[in-house]
Amino acid sequence: MHISEGFLSAPALAAGWTVAGAGVAWGLKKMDAEEVVKVSMASSVFFLASLVNVKLGPSATHLSLIGPMGLLLGWASFPAIFTALLLQAVLFQFGGLLVLGANTASMATPAVCAYLIFGRAVRSQNLNLSAAAAFAAGFLSVLASALLVGSWLSISDPDMALTAKSIFVAHVPIAAVEGAAALFITLFLKRAFPDMLMGVDRR
Amino acid sequence: MTKSRMAPLCAGIIGLFSSTGLAVTASLLLALAMPGAATAHGVGYRISSKRAVTLEFYYSTGETMAYLEAKAYSPADEKNAFQSGRTDEFGRVSFVPDFEGEWRVVVKDEEGHMADAVVPVTSEFLSGVSENGVSAAVQSGFPQGVDLVLRALLGVSALFNIAVLARLRKCI
Repeated sequence: MHISEGFLSAPALAAGWTVAGAGVAWGLKKMDAEEVVKVSMASSVFFLASLVNVKLGPSATHLSLIGPMGLLLGWASFPAIFTALLLQAVLFQFGGLLVLGANTASMATPAVCAYLIFGRAVRSQNLNLSAAAAFAAGFLSVLASALLVGSWLSISDPDMALTAKSIFVAHVPIAAVEGAAALFITLFLKRAFPDMLMGVDRR
Repeated sequence: MTKSRMAPLCAGIIGLFSSTGLAVTASLLLALAMPGAATAHGVGYRISSKRAVTLEFYYSTGETMAYLEAKAYSPADEKNAFQSGRTDEFGRVSFVPDFEGEWRVVVKDEEGHMADAVVPVTSEFLSGVSENGVSAAVQSGFPQGVDLVLRALLGVSALFNIAVLARLRKCI
């Protein structure tokens, strides 16, 4: 899901930083300072999830947990994902520093969308509705992220428009795994730590 | 037409045919002597005595970067690729350096992943004195083993330190 240095054009990099900058600023503004430990914990899980390899038939990929990040943190997903991606770039050489803006936008935007669309349903008392919304949040956020990655590449090089489609299709299996992961995380949190799903926004 | 007038005409026709025949025969002989000379160069092959550098490219998931675009850049010309091709089934790419300095090998896939390897080539390697000079000097871009665990712990520690600093700032 990370785009490496050298792929994106200057306008795409600038657009990525604009989206990421605005998102991080808004996320920090909305975030309750009391919840900063919860944000750093979710950010740590996101940071480490990239090291968890998932074998899917002949290919292998790693988890991203974009959906659960959105459901747990809401707008604070932007600063949390930005910081985790920065550390991944510096410590693991995933992505890069110049493309950090585009990578943050690709992953944090679907996370926030998952929160805005499915957040209320996930917090509902109806367990079936909650489970279905959690799966949809995990599944669709990965596909949306793949779509954004393909879009950044297409903007930079129109010849990669076909590649964007193949990236989307290639992410369908891992999206199903991410949906299942979001489902189990949500059900576990609903039983053990229901307050975790109440978001970190200022009240 | 009298017989005396026909004689030079017949001699001329026979002369024309015989000269054309000679030309055709000469062309055929030339073609047989040098097969294919008119349409293509001759080709051949031999095992090179030059030493090659072989790199293996892989993803952090352990998968090989198979059949992907690969370019090698010489330190003598960092803009134009010295060699352009694809990795093999096992993510390998080989090139034969002819210049001392830092060579770059770039392998890209179509999903936005790129590996950029730097290979320091010494004069000892080019002259064949050093056995493993190049391969020993090249390091992987992705940390492995204990290094990976330490970096992961460092990352988590950094994230929690940010949280502690933010809380302290609020308290102050």
